[in-house]
Amino acid sequence: MPKKRANSRKSKREKQSKGTISRRDVLKIGAAAGAVAVIAPTMLTSRKALAFQWGVPEPLVRCVSTAASPPHTPFVDELLIPFPAIDHPLNPQPTKSANQNAGEWDRDDHQRWEQFTPAHVTTELEARPGLHRFHSDFGESYIWGFNGVYPGPMVLNRYSNPTIVRFRNSLPTNSVTFGRPEITIHLHNGHHGSESDGFAGDWFPSGFWKDNLYPNCYAGLDTFGGNGDVRERMGTFWYHDHRAEFTANNNVLGLNGMFLVYDETDPGHEHPSAGSLRLPGYYGVTDIPIILTDKRFCALDAQGRNEMVNANGGDKFIVNGKIQPRMTVRNRKYRFRILSTGPTKAQWDLTLIGPTGNVETIVVVATDANFLEHPVPVDDGVNKDNSNAIVGDTIVTPGALRVNVAERYDVIIDFGKYPVGSKLYLKEATRQNVNPGNVNPPGLPPNLNIGNVVMRFDVVNKETWFPADTPDIPETLCTFPPICTPDTTFEWTFNRDPAGSNPRLFRINHRVFDPELPQHCVVKGTCEEWLINNNDDVGTNWAHPVHIHFEEFRILKRFKNDNGVSVELPVTPLSRGRKDVTKVEPGESALIRMNFRDYVGKYLIHCHNMGHEDAFMMVAWHIVPDAASKAACDALIVQGNKEFEAKLRNEEVS
Amino acid sequence: MDRRSMFTRLFTPHPASPGASKFTNAVLRTQDNKEVKFYDDLIRGKQVVINMMYAKCHGACPLVTTVMKRTYRDLKDRVGKDVFFYSISVKPQDDTPAALKHYAKTRNADLPGWYFLTGDPYDIETIRFRLFGMNHPGIDLDFAMHSGSFRIINDTTNHWGHAQAFASQKNILKRIAWADPTKSYAEWAAESRARQVLIYQDVKKYGYRRDV
Repeated sequence: MPKKRANSRKSKREKQSKGTISRRDVLKIGAAAGAVAVIAPTMLTSRKALAFQWGVPEPLVRCVSTAASPPHTPFVDELLIPFPAIDHPLNPQPTKSANQNAGEWDRDDHQRWEQFTPAHVTTELEARPGLHRFHSDFGESYIWGFNGVYPGPMVLNRYSNPTIVRFRNSLPTNSVTFGRPEITIHLHNGHHGSESDGFAGDWFPSGFWKDNLYPNCYAGLDTFGGNGDVRERMGTFWYHDHRAEFTANNNVLGLNGMFLVYDETDPGHEHPSAGSLRLPGYYGVTDIPIILTDKRFCALDAQGRNEMVNANGGDKFIVNGKIQPRMTVRNRKYRFRILSTGPTKAQWDLTLIGPTGNVETIVVVATDANFLEHPVPVDDGVNKDNSNAIVGDTIVTPGALRVNVAERYDVIIDFGKYPVGSKLYLKEATRQNVNPGNVNPPGLPPNLNIGNVVMRFDVVNKETWFPADTPDIPETLCTFPPICTPDTTFEWTFNRDPAGSNPRLFRINHRVFDPELPQHCVVKGTCEEWLINNNDDVGTNWAHPVHIHFEEFRILKRFKNDNGVSVELPVTPLSRGRKDVTKVEPGESALIRMNFRDYVGKYLIHCHNMGHEDAFMMVAWHIVPDAASKAACDALIVQGNKEFEAKLRNEEVS
Repeated sequence: MDRRSMFTRLFTPHPASPGASKFTNAVLRTQDNKEVKFYDDLIRGKQVVINMMYAKCHGACPLVTTVMKRTYRDLKDRVGKDVFFYSISVKPQDDTPAALKHYAKTRNADLPGWYFLTGDPYDIETIRFRLFGMNHPGIDLDFAMHSGSFRIINDTTNHWGHAQAFASQKNILKRIAWADPTKSYAEWAAESRARQVLIYQDVKKYGYRRDV
């Protein structure tokens, strides 16, 4: 670095820090006192100290409660729109190999580094503690969030603009909360190398960082060249912590956020442009994320806070970090990107309730980030068959859009159909705890309970400056790539071991999560047909939302084990698209096909109910470069099986 | 050394440790018929591996005990110093300290740092719920549900992990290592560098990162 620049920076810093003692001064003082050897190691090497620099006091005690959360007044807070992540250059510059001298955690080299660098966009998301007010009636709550906020910053991206996100871990190691200050960040469901995939066993501790390279390419780089097969486009991603054993805890604390990728069909604006579908598309204006979760809170404590409980299922519904918010909408079309972040709430059966109490139409345009070929309206009228709330062949909640953990649905709601001044309600089938007795506020439709309301939309007249309404939703949104022809088949069985067996645990193919041991090896560039079974007892509620990392799959068939007889179930219109999560009910199976292209490495299949996932219901599978590596990978599985069987025979394993 | 100080050393729990309010301070008995307080003597400031078993069990318990014995050997001389093994009887009404002693002796598992514990059935049921409870009656009421898994706790870091006896031995050791005492930045960095070398070896050999 030129000396001049260094000097100027120094002088600038001295100007800024006039009257205060900078770290440099502290070191000088330390050196003068002859104590540098004592102070320097702690100051320079421990990033733990950073946790205190954010000025976020820890909770006084860990909040534990099974009582109802404090009451709140509905519709007080305006819906919060996550602020976009800000691009900025990274220092030090990202490197292909882990830059361990600068504090990067170990990882394998970025694949396709030469192809996708220099990255167009670089940004940094730092996991650190923060305070967030979930409702105006509440005190603040202690959270762990990316850049200290919940929900995490919205990363806005564009296809063919590769992105490097530097995830920095500055979480406190002595927190009294239930989180684990170790993270590994998964972009759900990006097509990228295993080193950027947030493999659950590759977590890194506080004080370190890791660069994830998101190439923002379409799958099929090798076969299609360029930026891949455009038919593989995806739009709505989300990123979240994937630390083995502690995914649920860290996600309850707030370590998740959303990530959008635009391209010609969905350009992030509404002007006529080549290839654009012209769906509502101004982020934060007409294109709104709906990040759903549920939480439980303790009563106001001595610090004036309402801390979160580490609960498997809370009694307050949270939308974008606010309890029962309202959103002022203009009388035009809006797009909502609905995401359920779990961790364990099995499903949201969402219906839109109009001013008169009728179920109104929601038009689904995308499932799990992928456009459907044709938009699917969901309501309780003529389109009953199109409801996604179907279990087996029963419609559980007529007219509902069923959102399982980690699923995303892009929906269009046309508020132009309603007179100005009307209020619409997003309803959930189960109830939250609003106030004792859930007393309805005035103005609610008579057949609606306030406990079922997730949020309210207030329709106002569109101002002249507000973007004009978009044209009708196109009849055809996209063309799916053809379903691939499988090279081989494989079967995954999710279950708790049957009653009477010993021990009983959540497992996949009778195995538990073992970061070192794959259960299946796939050769890069092939297609496989997988049968995903849920062998839990029919009639129980052990449904598993199965998530497969890496590429999108297509569901060919669904089956149900009806007292030993296999019955084929209809694949609902919302499951016929490209998906990366599918819920498999007890006794049901799903037959899927999936490609494995462009990258190699370790990937995961797991139940996205984070409680089950943390209780081992996750296994690794590997994509290997060629047949020779497949033989070596299969040998690893054989060795693992030998050890497993030896343990079952009560033999010592060597 | 008296009985109490044999177990109680100057261990400090993590500031966030829920302490006896979560673990209970129930008085249990070891296979040598020594009285111990569950939190104060067995958990406070220690790294522990806990499983549930009973002496007359012919299902998973002997298999799990074998796995623990293997793990004991793999941890070399750490057990009894900074890692402790506890096998708690889920049938305390049948398992006297003598019965547990017999169970341990016949399986060559009567080893220093590894305690087989029995006590009041109510206390043990409470401990089982507190340690292995998943807040789900279908799982929690079935005492066989957790006999194959180890609860791994480090009170100094407030770590609550678990491992499964039928996972690979490498994985069990790794999960115990995940609960190791807090490392300094320098220690983490050294560990990360050492692993990076292994990763490159793996990639060179197999074409991708495999089992590191």
